[in-house]
Amino acid sequence: MKLEDVAVLGVGMCRFGVHRDTTLTELAREAGLKALEDAGLGFRDVGEAFVGYMQGLPMLGIKIMKEFGLTGLPVTHVENASATGLVAFREAAHAVASGRCDVALALGFEKMTEMAWGGGGGRGIGRDAIDSVILPAAFFALWAMRRMHERGTRPEHFARIAAKNWNHGAKNPLSHRQPDHKVTVSEVLASPMIAEPLTAMMACPVDDGAACAILGRRDLAQRLRPERPRVSVIASALQTETYTPGHTFLGPVVGPASMTRDTARQAYEQAGVDPSDVSLALCHDAFANEELEYYELLGFCPEGDGEKLLEEGATQLGGRIPFNTDGGLIARGHPGGPTGLAQIHELALQLRGEAGPRQVANARIGLAHLVGGGSVCTVNLLKRN
Amino acid sequence: MTQAEKERVPIEKGFFTIPRDPSEPPSLLGTRCRSCSEVFFPRRKVCAKCLSQDTEDTLLGPRGTLYTYTYVHVPMFGTSRTDAQGYGVGQVDLPEGPRVQAVLSGGAEDFRIGMELELQLETLRENRKGQDVVIFRFRPLAAA
Ligand SMILES: [Zn+2]
Repeated sequence: MKLEDVAVLGVGMCRFGVHRDTTLTELAREAGLKALEDAGLGFRDVGEAFVGYMQGLPMLGIKIMKEFGLTGLPVTHVENASATGLVAFREAAHAVASGRCDVALALGFEKMTEMAWGGGGGRGIGRDAIDSVILPAAFFALWAMRRMHERGTRPEHFARIAAKNWNHGAKNPLSHRQPDHKVTVSEVLASPMIAEPLTAMMACPVDDGAACAILGRRDLAQRLRPERPRVSVIASALQTETYTPGHTFLGPVVGPASMTRDTARQAYEQAGVDPSDVSLALCHDAFANEELEYYELLGFCPEGDGEKLLEEGATQLGGRIPFNTDGGLIARGHPGGPTGLAQIHELALQLRGEAGPRQVANARIGLAHLVGGGSVCTVNLLKRN
Repeated sequence: MTQAEKERVPIEKGFFTIPRDPSEPPSLLGTRCRSCSEVFFPRRKVCAKCLSQDTEDTLLGPRGTLYTYTYVHVPMFGTSRTDAQGYGVGQVDLPEGPRVQAVLSGGAEDFRIGMELELQLETLRENRKGQDVVIFRFRPLAAA
């Protein structure tokens, strides 16, 4: 069996946000049970599980999976920083594609609001102190400042992307941020500066959440939900850094932007599609300027034309290639482990035509992209058929 | 240089030199690959480019060119600094090849892409032995 014979059978998530009075276990259980119900399956049908989170004690995933029942199923932990959820998804898809099981579950959960900050990329590899003085926000700001220098990009461009994603969030009941008014460019620019030129409203929030996807053989999708368009996995690419001149090795978030370009090419090749075939894209917009870079690196416009694509309105709902239709990391939220599975949740709804007020007309192929810690990238393509 | 008489120790060993004369700039401790000549910071045993293990230590700096920078307005990790003024962060291209990500010394308006910078050591805090714990920074050369 091939990857394209694997379908997303069901998805479920709880709204991302600050969940002070809900435990991690409760969040994970809610997302998992919703996904099973959406698939029309019981937990006994699940042949294998992949659990993703960025922090927590060893065995946390196995312990949480007991909430669904003790059936003896194999459980594997996945951690790839911000990319964790999509990598859990990728492993579940391959578990089905390999014939190891008929149904696999990918579950991500996290309480970022309880995360012990202060560590960086060097934590645990023997250079804790020197590596952790620079914030992730600073790294992406460095990227933004260089682009402004090279291409004349203005902070208004970044603010426009942020405002777009905030406003997309308003159309998503599961989004953390749901503004009660139309967020404007000037409002984003006026919010407190974090790392020049990035303001607070250009950055993702700190939040909690859980999300789950059930993957299975394509014929099962047909049998379980015959009335529903099938959503197949047509590509799942994962890469770490390739050495390039100008590489930085020290600091919490390193890695070349070209990693996204290389990973996307691999995904398009695997699926036999072009960027022009893609109906919508979800990307790692932890900071708004990233999304501008990914327009180009994911192949939706030539290098240097990102601002033009944005100014044309192509990447907002109703545009040629809407980006982050569910609000993205900036509005929907970015709790870490579950983020990628929230993207799969959105793509599944969009490709089934169930996305309500934010539905992309005739959505046929959806793309989910995340980078993790600057050092890992994954691009996944889902298709309606 | 009021702290000239105090012993200085690095925040972490193996990344930079601490000259005996506090007015001297430090060097960064890097690696040069004998097979492909690529130079790296920080030090590594295996060449990231050609995978050769035939590598040697090399000193880098003290000068470089600012490739990009930002000014951060939230507190810095790993220090006891609580000043609300923020701090600069940059990527600095060394003539030997490596691009180094580091904290910059100076105010919000002191940086521009392409400017020349020089390494310096900055004291973060005093440890229990009464030694100064130092880290490397880059500062605009004009401000030297
Ligand atoms: Zn080499």
